Amino acid sequence: MSDQAVETRDLVREYKGGVKAVDGVSLTVESGGIFGFLGPNGAGKSTMVRMLTTLLRPTSGTAIVAGHDVMKEPGIVRRRIGVALQDAAIDPYMTGRELLRLQGVLHGMKRADCRARADVLLGRVDLEDAADRRVGTYSGGMRRRLDLALSLVHEPVVLFLDEPTTGLDPVSRVTLWDEVRRLNVEHGTTVFLTTQYLEEADQLADRVAIIDGGLIVADGTPKALKARIGYPLLSVVAADGSTPDDVARVLSGFGEMVPGARDGGAAVRLPGGSTAMADAVRALDDAGVRFAEIDLAEPTLDDVFLASTGRHLAGSDDATA
Amino acid sequence: MTAAIPVIRQTAALAWRSIVTTIRLPQAWFPALFFPLVLMAIFTASFGGAPGTIPGFPPVRSFLDFAVSGAIIQGVLIGGTSAGAAFATDIEGGFFDRLVASPTSRTSILTGRLGASIALGVGQALLFISVAAIFGARVDGGVLGIFIVVVIATLFAAAVGGLGIFLALRTGSGEAVQGMFPLFFALLFFSSAFFPLDTMVGWYHDVAALNPITYLVESMRLEIIGGATIWTALTGIGIALGLAVITVGASALALRRRLRVAA
Repeated sequence: MSDQAVETRDLVREYKGGVKAVDGVSLTVESGGIFGFLGPNGAGKSTMVRMLTTLLRPTSGTAIVAGHDVMKEPGIVRRRIGVALQDAAIDPYMTGRELLRLQGVLHGMKRADCRARADVLLGRVDLEDAADRRVGTYSGGMRRRLDLALSLVHEPVVLFLDEPTTGLDPVSRVTLWDEVRRLNVEHGTTVFLTTQYLEEADQLADRVAIIDGGLIVADGTPKALKARIGYPLLSVVAADGSTPDDVARVLSGFGEMVPGARDGGAAVRLPGGSTAMADAVRALDDAGVRFAEIDLAEPTLDDVFLASTGRHLAGSDDATA
Repeated sequence: MTAAIPVIRQTAALAWRSIVTTIRLPQAWFPALFFPLVLMAIFTASFGGAPGTIPGFPPVRSFLDFAVSGAIIQGVLIGGTSAGAAFATDIEGGFFDRLVASPTSRTSILTGRLGASIALGVGQALLFISVAAIFGARVDGGVLGIFIVVVIATLFAAAVGGLGIFLALRTGSGEAVQGMFPLFFALLFFSSAFFPLDTMVGWYHDVAALNPITYLVESMRLEIIGGATIWTALTGIGIALGLAVITVGASALALRRRLRVAA
């Protein structure tokens, strides 16, 4: 047994017309953690998951999942992984309990085990009361929870969740996060999670990789990635006859200017950290520049994304739709 | 242990799921029961006087006896189209992906859906024969006759199911599969499903005479109205089996192709 839940080398998937959705990804995911695979729509996240779950054949490169090659031993990989794909694939005319039992049979479990396992999982995702209702009557959050339970029927070693909370309301999202965390801590299941939400990766993942245009542009713990950006961001909004240019002229003496600041203001990365903030304020005062708002922010994953790709990511405050 | 046991269990479980979802969705089964029965009633009322008065009409006790086999074929055709559309919806909706990403055997993905089509087809055949019997129809061939009718219905259900699955796998769209239905319906009308070949004239007669459905219907019909021989029975069974082998084979190839190309 290897200690890696997922290990890919130069993985490529090329679609018809030469479009490379995944363009040479080498990635190692250690067993036991929650791995956040972050990227905007169309970055290659789903293509990557489909290759790792044996649904899509890589054009080139290798992928080892749960200790087995997805191309050479797809059958073994399928027995060891759980998969909950985007757009919960659930029969509206079946009940939650029926679907869980069916999934058990498909995994070759004994009838009695299927029943027992369904009961356990319904309890775990808090769907006992809705167990015998048709799935068509479930809310979005309930469907995702059932989808999660379905992917856990055979106690997988590695669990793939493709955008598990896209489209969910904030409360349902937090409920699902708690469940994923519990799964990871109490059952030791390695979770490979794709998301386009920074907050989700930040909240859940102990390691994050950012994919953009089919390439990994950043990879590490959220903390390390933020530290790589380094310095906190000071943004100042001009007021009372002062212009953003006036503000920028003063701030540029304190560090590297950052584009994309709020309207009517300027922003700078402060290598001096929070102590430099006082100096900056004094300097603005001395120069007679008046300002209305001042804000010092620690780096976020969006800063990491911005620094890696030159763009903001959906779900961050600065992102424009 | 043998590899066959999980395949059989998975097939049974998937067939059960297909049947349950069909029964719970009235749109899926209602047309397959309603239209054949209504057409059978309308034609029987409209052409009740046809036997014995129209030249070319076969000797028959009543028009209803004549109409039963056409209704069975029509019902199986409608049911098979819905099953194909449901399979396509599984592909669109992601249920298919969930199966493929699990250790579910590739065979049972097909045999489960086919098993459901066959079970529903047998149910239809028995139901239509029973309803017709209530209104006075008789099966001349007796229990053996009914058995042969059901065997042909079973094989035809497999053939239509195979065609539906094939179309679903190639198009991946429930609407596209459902959209083929008028074509199937035309195929049904260009056969002796509702009227005997001998009363047809011109090119219409020639088309119907080339249509394999004509020979399926005739084979079943002779079991009901009388005049069947071992050869007429074997002709019907043989044609239905041939169609089933072709479409199920094509659907198996289409599945392999879809899994190989994989999106």
